[in-house]
Amino acid sequence: MKLPPVLRLVVRNFASNLDPLTVTIRFGQPAVTIIVLGTMFSTIISSNVTGGGSYTAFLVPGMVAFQMITGGVVSGNLFWLDRRWSMVEQVFSGPFLRAEYLGSLVLTSLLFSLVGVGIMMLVGLPFIGIPSLSVVGTGAVLLTVALGSVFFAGLLIAIGTRLRSANAYFSIQSFLQLFVIFLSTVYYPVTAKTPRALAVVFYGNPLTYAANTIRDAFSGALGGSDLVGLGILAILATVTFTVAVEAFRTMDLGPIQ
Amino acid sequence: MPSEELVLETRDLGYAYAPEKFAIRHLSVGLHRGEVLGLLGRNGAGKTTTVRLLTTLLPPTEGSATVLGYDLRTGGRALRSRLGVVLQSESLDFVSVERNLTLYAFLWGVPRETAKARSEEMIELFELEAARPRKPWALSGGERRRFQVARELMHDMDILFLDEPTVGLDAIARRRILRYLRGRALGGLSIIFTTHILHEADLLCDRIAVLHLGQLIALDTAEGLKQRFGGAREVAIGFESPLAPTVRAELTAELTGRGAMILETDPPSSADRIAFRAPDAEELLPWISHWAHSRSLTVERMSVEEATLESAFLGMIGESDAAASAANAERDEEIVAAARSGGLR
Repeated sequence: MKLPPVLRLVVRNFASNLDPLTVTIRFGQPAVTIIVLGTMFSTIISSNVTGGGSYTAFLVPGMVAFQMITGGVVSGNLFWLDRRWSMVEQVFSGPFLRAEYLGSLVLTSLLFSLVGVGIMMLVGLPFIGIPSLSVVGTGAVLLTVALGSVFFAGLLIAIGTRLRSANAYFSIQSFLQLFVIFLSTVYYPVTAKTPRALAVVFYGNPLTYAANTIRDAFSGALGGSDLVGLGILAILATVTFTVAVEAFRTMDLGPIQ
Repeated sequence: MPSEELVLETRDLGYAYAPEKFAIRHLSVGLHRGEVLGLLGRNGAGKTTTVRLLTTLLPPTEGSATVLGYDLRTGGRALRSRLGVVLQSESLDFVSVERNLTLYAFLWGVPRETAKARSEEMIELFELEAARPRKPWALSGGERRRFQVARELMHDMDILFLDEPTVGLDAIARRRILRYLRGRALGGLSIIFTTHILHEADLLCDRIAVLHLGQLIALDTAEGLKQRFGGAREVAIGFESPLAPTVRAELTAELTGRGAMILETDPPSSADRIAFRAPDAEELLPWISHWAHSRSLTVERMSVEEATLESAFLGMIGESDAAASAANAERDEEIVAAARSGGLR
């Protein structure tokens, strides 16, 4: 039985572009962060700062939120490589629609992010135990990661449609990744002592909303602010994805030399 | 022999990459089932644009086309699912050659068992056995090209587009591929084939379309093109006995008057021979026989240099057409600039 075109593309995305080393590094880096950074900072950071728990308990939900970037980056890179190696043109000369290809990238990003969420929770298990996630909390975590994944995948795909230099694309991707993670509440909370300018930047960053929502879901303290956060994420994901669709629709399919 | 059934027909098809800047224009051509149609032309003549138009990778900006019964503008997936396309640029997935083949078949929905059998067939046919476990970046240029053609043949199709499929291949691999393609055409596959190797087009193609500066300037069989555009060819005539100087002078004058250029005038050692170049060489042969007969001379041998597709091509395009060259180069630059700025859609 033939799979639907979009699923055939997803299988191809995984089979052709995700070598074991890349996958190990993508998931290994945040896992090591939880283990090393969590352990070391737990010894020097007071629980007052992290809302009562250990620093590792603070960090694990942050790393779970970070998986939406991991998924987005995987899809963005996949698209870039397909473009670089003329596979976009080759795919479109076959029985596929642009929407299906784009859909396959988003699905790949989602699947990758969700696998990452599972791995981060497993890595965090020895440090924080099983999080007291309710059904609503689990849904909130998955929805947050899904929206964030669409946001980052859309952003990188939109950038990838316009750049013709691999150096430029990968530099921007690295910079964005670094910028987004350090200017969010993944590693540290925004407190009353946070400089105002930085706090404004933090709250302009979708990863902040994602990290806060997931953290609240882990501690069973979901509230109105998380609903607002999810709403902001949904709007950002929709806007970015729409931009990506338009950029994708009008891009030149020809090879990048 | 190709059938009468038309599988592709274009009517004044054109593509403008900017207002009034046409990469291809007024293209009216048909392709029959089982026919191999060659697209020849200089760099930037519009061959790749034509392939991209006919495979829906570019939308036409004027004219119309029907491919396998579908309108080119609206046929979309249904149309493309019956095409095979070997792009000019390398398109690769980062897995082994063997996995590339089966993965591509999977993308096209080819059943697993069929894909497996077909990949074995393609690996053998395209001499990729040694390359089977290697990743694309570890392949030589020729292997990559062979692999790319092999990969496209993993699925079924009605029309195969090949954009310079034999670039970088050695003569043996080239012949092997051409022979295979000829066989597939005999089996009913229609093929559109672009190349710069004119001898290949001569061997493979039933008809040849010559594009120049985005326009179709000739469409005929290779033989037809050679006859129409083959230009001046060399003729050598050998007589039974040496020609008397006066007779030779008379023949020389007659031939010159008929547009021939004498190549060999009066070397003592070859007084029984005369050679010349003439645009309509074959038409002069009956006249020479008649002339010799009327002077009781016996023609022992006559040879006419065979017209080549290359000489025909040069005749059509104009080998020293400096104006066209400049226009071509300018057009190339404009197309590249438009693509870079995202102007090519």
